[in-house]
Amino acid sequence: TTIRTPTPHSPISLFITLTLLLHFSELLDDILREKPQEADGIDSVVVVDNVPQVGPERLEKLKNVIHKIFSKFGKITTEFYPEADGMTKGYIFLEYASPTQALEAVKNADGYKLDKQHTFRVNLFTDFDKYMNISDEWEAPAKQPFKDFGNMRHWIEDPDCRDQYSVIYEAGERTAIFSNDAKEPITVEERARWTETYVRWSPKGTYLATFHQRGIALWGGEKFKQIQRFSHQGVSLIDFSPCERYVVTFSPLMDTKEDPQAIIIWDILTGQKKRGFHCESSAHWPIFKWSHDGKFFARMTPDTLSIYETPSMGLLDKKSLKITGIKDFSWSPGDNIIAFWVPEDKDIPARVTLMQMPSRQEIRVRNLFNVVDCKLHWQRNGDYLCVKVDRTPKGTQGVVTNFEIFRMREKQVPVDVVEMKESIIAFAWEPNGSKFAVLHGESPRINASFYHVKNNGKIELIKMFDKQQANSIFWSPQGQFMVLAGLRSMNGALAFVDTSDCTMMNIAEHYMASDVEWDPTGRYVVTSVSWWSHKVDNAYWLWTFQGRLLQKNNKDRFCQLLWRPRPPTLLSAEQIKMIKKDLKKYSKIFEQKDRLSQSKASKELVDKRRAMMEDYRRYREEALKIYQEQKSIRLELRGGVDTDELDSNVDDWEEETIEFFINEEIIPIGDL
Amino acid sequence: MLGHERSITQIKYNREGDLLFSVAKDTVANAWYSVNGERLGTYNGHTGAVWCVDCDWDTKNVLTGSADNSCRLWDCETGKQLALLNTNSAVRTCGFDFSGNIIMFSTDKQMEILKKAKEHTKQINDIQTSVDLTMFISASKDNTAKLFDSTSLDHIKTFKTERPVNSAAISPIMDHVVMGGGQEAMEVTTTSTRIGKFEARFFHAAYEEEFGRVKGHFGPINCVAFHPDGKSYSSGGEDGYVRIHYFDPQYFDFELEA
Repeated sequence: TTIRTPTPHSPISLFITLTLLLHFSELLDDILREKPQEADGIDSVVVVDNVPQVGPERLEKLKNVIHKIFSKFGKITTEFYPEADGMTKGYIFLEYASPTQALEAVKNADGYKLDKQHTFRVNLFTDFDKYMNISDEWEAPAKQPFKDFGNMRHWIEDPDCRDQYSVIYEAGERTAIFSNDAKEPITVEERARWTETYVRWSPKGTYLATFHQRGIALWGGEKFKQIQRFSHQGVSLIDFSPCERYVVTFSPLMDTKEDPQAIIIWDILTGQKKRGFHCESSAHWPIFKWSHDGKFFARMTPDTLSIYETPSMGLLDKKSLKITGIKDFSWSPGDNIIAFWVPEDKDIPARVTLMQMPSRQEIRVRNLFNVVDCKLHWQRNGDYLCVKVDRTPKGTQGVVTNFEIFRMREKQVPVDVVEMKESIIAFAWEPNGSKFAVLHGESPRINASFYHVKNNGKIELIKMFDKQQANSIFWSPQGQFMVLAGLRSMNGALAFVDTSDCTMMNIAEHYMASDVEWDPTGRYVVTSVSWWSHKVDNAYWLWTFQGRLLQKNNKDRFCQLLWRPRPPTLLSAEQIKMIKKDLKKYSKIFEQKDRLSQSKASKELVDKRRAMMEDYRRYREEALKIYQEQKSIRLELRGGVDTDELDSNVDDWEEETIEFFINEEIIPIGDL
Repeated sequence: MLGHERSITQIKYNREGDLLFSVAKDTVANAWYSVNGERLGTYNGHTGAVWCVDCDWDTKNVLTGSADNSCRLWDCETGKQLALLNTNSAVRTCGFDFSGNIIMFSTDKQMEILKKAKEHTKQINDIQTSVDLTMFISASKDNTAKLFDSTSLDHIKTFKTERPVNSAAISPIMDHVVMGGGQEAMEVTTTSTRIGKFEARFFHAAYEEEFGRVKGHFGPINCVAFHPDGKSYSSGGEDGYVRIHYFDPQYFDFELEA
């Protein structure tokens, strides 16, 4: 036997060859007997483990089965079934016509379940060499230098409690972070091309995410240093886990059958890629919905609900839930409960189910009849679930809407129904309360109704405002106050409402407003006209929660403003109660501070104006001097006529009588 | 005053302010008595949109420039066309010199450049001098108007809005500038329910702060001009109207806190 060593085109293949000679002599004999391809031989070999050990009588059958499975990936040129004591050893070697085919085999057949006891493990032969050469002495990995990003919560410590917000303007060329001061925005950071499309804050405000062709970057700390980078070519959408431990990125470009890359879940602190997923349909983002505590995330595919656990990223109980016809689902924002609904199926009515996780116990099932569509609306604390049900009652053609209100905090989750007579435009729960607001009707007769879910089992209509110019509802994140807005086609009509007594505090307008954003404390509201939706008048306006306009900020091609979220308060419920009780005492101190800063601002403005005027006056005096020096030239050019002042030439004036048309009166003369 | 069937391109007062000239895309040039809005007469002859107009210091001659590739000289009083200058393309600006003996004009294809200054980021729609010619103000599509020194071309002030500025003028007696603009008709994609809400804006020249707005036009304002006595101003719009506004006494007393 002549041993033909593959032409070494790199030191590694030479090394591999030598290793082979030392460790795998039996393999070498067999493979080389069959005349390997030049140069590629070793790279085209795969090793398959967990192959059934059979005797000679069943060997033929085994070979056929293996051949059938593995021929799918390419042309098998050699196969070797090592034996010992009359039985196959349980691992085999297959050589393909090319290394790419070998790779295909590894990608597709690794993990292939032949039967209950045999799941193939497939590896490239060359990988064995890699693992063979791991040193026997385990070396601890080198210590990475500690990257100090400073105080990641620095912005919360602002002594004047100013919230931050991000602004994208100049059509996306510039992104700035401002600190919200009632007088005028204070620039914290401003960078050109910080992001290529838009930005997102993490749920607790710790990170700012920016988008780039190659992936996303996270920024934070006092100076907005780059904390982490995630490489995902062509990323277009992202989502954070509520606990800020994970970030999910989506790119339509990256998906291949073998290597799911459309959706990737990353660990933020380590920067590691935790798991990749396919994305079959570009449905509503986020595809994966997180439980409120970040312990689970789930997604819906046809007839299936898949729930995964963290940090393992594996399926809960190792299998998905089969739910035939599942249309929609969502997590309670307060507990690990999933609500989902399925439409009618032959004799079985449509129903909404509440399921506890991880036990999968069905807490509540509600049957619904003649359902056209359902929408799930959770109150922000998970105290209530509203299911908006569109039905076509038997014998009618039209669509009616009901709100099924699930009281989550009461035993056995009672459900109350509110019937709506008109089509629904918008629905929104008070974030931490028990009220909800509905916009219903059809333009121009749009009505705003406010309901209160009371403890006694009743749902009361508190108030209805009719003929509203509104298509969107924006509650303050602290509850009680809200803005009814007519965005875009409704030209920016705004109504500021206090729902404690359902009064209109103010009615105003921000012409062509496209967005409304409350600050996280509920003190301020920003309305804005984005360049993305309207090419002129791009600006954002700052209002108080009562609807008093504080600032108009024009920004060249303003695109987007996002308030920086705050982490949940560290105060206990009792402490908050105490502060509310003593509020008068605290407000006195702050009012004084506010008054001082107000007068300081006017003083600053006044000083600025004074300086500008002085400069201007000086300039004008100089110009006037030159003007006077040129008088003789002027006289010459106009033949001696002095035209410097309008009355320089009174002699030249003419007197003229001019008629003014005052009034016309038609007096009918009676019959003569 | 409604004397034009199409949008106004320029308006100009004569030196003494008793006459106001307006030219428009309808090929017509009009002269009006500014005191009562009565029309003095029309200068007929152009066969294309008239882009510019000027009057000499003595109100003897009127000069117009048009898209019909000509610049025409008229006798102000009689309306008779005195001279016709053919040009090789549309005339965009024209004017008399201080003495009234020299005419200048520029076309899409020719102009003589004496000095250059680049401060705006988009096209400049209008330039007007102060009454003593020491400063001029430029109005630009980049949503700003800028004040310059005429001799040095130094950029002195900037007035910012959020809409393209079509025209700007400097008050002869107060530290004020007036600006008119709006967006071009083809950029308006939604039917605006704000009828009559195109506004002329007043800025303080030294503080660069806006202090007032005047509504009234049904379309973008193409040209603004102060009366030489500073007690009124005029605006010509896309809607074909020329509006003359007289200032209330409060206008002259108004002061920003300084």
